[in-house]
Formats: sequence, C-alpha cells, structure tokens
Amino acid sequence: MNDDYLWDKTGEPDPQVQELEEILGSLRYQPKPLQIPNELRLPQRRNYFPWVAIAAGVSLAILAGGIWLSTRSHGDAPQRQAEVTPPAPVKEVTPSAPKTPERKNESPEEVVAVHKHRPRASVPVLSKREREEALMAKEQVMLALRLTTEKLSLVHKKTQNTNPANQIKNQHRVG
Amino acid sequence: MKSSFKTPLIALLLIITTAFVAKAQDTRIQMGTLDHLAAKASQTVDVNVDERLMKLAARLFSDKDEDELKVKKLIEGLKGIYVKSFEFETEGQYVAADLEPIRAQLRGAGWTRLVNVISKKEGNVEVYLQFAGEMVNGLAVLHTDDKELTVVNIVGPVNLDKLAQLEGQMGIPDLGIESPKPKKKTNEQ
Repeated sequence: MNDDYLWDKTGEPDPQVQELEEILGSLRYQPKPLQIPNELRLPQRRNYFPWVAIAAGVSLAILAGGIWLSTRSHGDAPQRQAEVTPPAPVKEVTPSAPKTPERKNESPEEVVAVHKHRPRASVPVLSKREREEALMAKEQVMLALRLTTEKLSLVHKKTQNTNPANQIKNQHRVG
Repeated sequence: MKSSFKTPLIALLLIITTAFVAKAQDTRIQMGTLDHLAAKASQTVDVNVDERLMKLAARLFSDKDEDELKVKKLIEGLKGIYVKSFEFETEGQYVAADLEPIRAQLRGAGWTRLVNVISKKEGNVEVYLQFAGEMVNGLAVLHTDDKELTVVNIVGPVNLDKLAQLEGQMGIPDLGIESPKPKKKTNEQ
C-alpha cells in the first residue's frame, strides 16, 4: 500500500479510502451564497435617532421659551403695574381693592401677586430687544421729521419771499 | 394637454398683475441707486423706518406729553419713512443721472409736483405729493444743492396739518406756518 495517496493524491489509492472519499464527497464545500431561512431573519433595526433629536430639540425650545417668558414677566412686572393702574385714586386700602401708584410702601411681592389677578394690559409690554429697536426707530423718525420740516421750511421761506399770497399755506390745507 | 398649461398660466398672470397693481399703489420710492454716493459724501443720513418699526416707535411716544402725542398722531397710519441725505465736501460729487431713477419714479404712479423752488444759494427743493382721492397718500421731498443731496419719502396718509403742528417742537424747525395752537387755547380757558 502506498501512503502517498493520503498525503498528495499520488500513487495507487486504497479502495476503502476511495469508498470513504465517495461517501464523504457529498459533504464537501460547495461555493454558493448563504441562504438564511425566513424564520431566522432578524427584524430590521429602526433608526430612532432623528426622532429623538427632534423631540429633544422641541423640548429644549419649550423649556427655553418658558424660562424666557417667566424672566420677562418678572422683569416687566412693575412697568405693567404702572400701565394698568386705574385713573381713580383709592383712599381706603382693602385686600380686594385695586392698587394705585401712590402706594409706594407696598412690597414687590404684593405687586406681582396683584398683577397675576389682573386682566392683561391692552398694549403688550415690549421686550428689551424690541424696546431698543423701538428707541432707534423713534430717533430715526424724529431725524426724518426734522429733515422733512427743514426742507419744507426752506420751501416755505422761498415761496413767501417770491409770492406774498402765501402759496404754501394754501397748499398746506389740501391734505 | 393644453388645459394642463392653462391653469398655471392664468395663476401666473394673476400673480404678475397683482404684483404690478400693488407696486403701482405703493408710494415708496426706491432709493438704492443713490447708495454709491455714500463713499463720496462727508456726511450721510440714511433713515429706513418701515411699518413695523413705525408701530414700535409709536409705542414709545408718550400720550401725556403734548408734543410727543402730536408726533404719535402724525405717524399713526404711516407705512414708512425713508430718507437719504448726502453732504459733500466739494461740488460736483453727483450728477443729474444719479437722480434720474428717483425722478422717473416721481414722474409716474400718481405723483404730483406741488412745489419746485429754485435757489442759487440754497439749491432746488421739489415737493411731491401722491393723492388717494382727496387724501395725501405719500410725500416726497427732493433737495439738490451743489454740496448736498436729500431725498425724503413718507409713505402712507400724511397729514400735513399735523406735520405743521410739529413746528418748533422737539427740535423740529419752525415752518412759520400759521395754525391754531392748542396750548394757547388751554391757557385762555
């Protein structure tokens, strides 16, 4: 018997070995794609990250908005008090009576509590940024009005000099 | 196939027509063409107050102060105030062509030139008004001098009587226009 066949498939093969080869040959490696049965397939992994991110963003926005609103209302509380003060002065101070500006000795806590029970002022209070913006706009409006009236004054002066009938005065009444 | 094009085409035409009508009714003068003069000017005033800012500003004018109340009433209902004013060190820093886009706008869209003052010393001043029926719906003032160029545009219902009432108050120069003074009336009472 030549053992070389067992090592490198050279030489005379042993019939028993050949028989074993044929039996085991059916189990040899076959190159084909892996087929996973349906029942063994894992469910697709859902990507929840965008939803979680959106939810976190919305929550943060709501939280920030709440904080901003609460700080703003606290900061503006005395101003609102001044704006919504009823015109009639109240002499006798009772717990249910409306507060007046003359009552300077009342504590800030009382003022805030009163404000909470009052109806909202018809003119909403400006935020700090809006107020700055409004101040700038007011200055610009005044500057524009000054320039406009300067020019109209010049026109008026010239028309007065040339036309004693006060032309600009008459035209002025058109509007 | 043809009908599928019809509807968007009609919609597009409607949008364009609406835009043109809106533009025709708008009394705002586009002054962007003057911006390049800022580089040559020694002093520039640029006021841009739109309707939103106007409403914000109006809230800062006090109702208790008589002068401020007058300004508040004047600017109530206005849709904007726009000013561009340039002062130059030397003459000839701008040419007539620079003003042509402004003049072109003032020639159309219902503008009427009310006054044109020509002065060698103080330059030319033109006052334009736009009427909506009997109401003044816009005011434009164009002042051109050798060393100065100013364009003022007030958009919206300008009450010239109220404007005259501002004279001599809050730094606003006296126009010298005679008008009833409420202060005097209250003193007399």
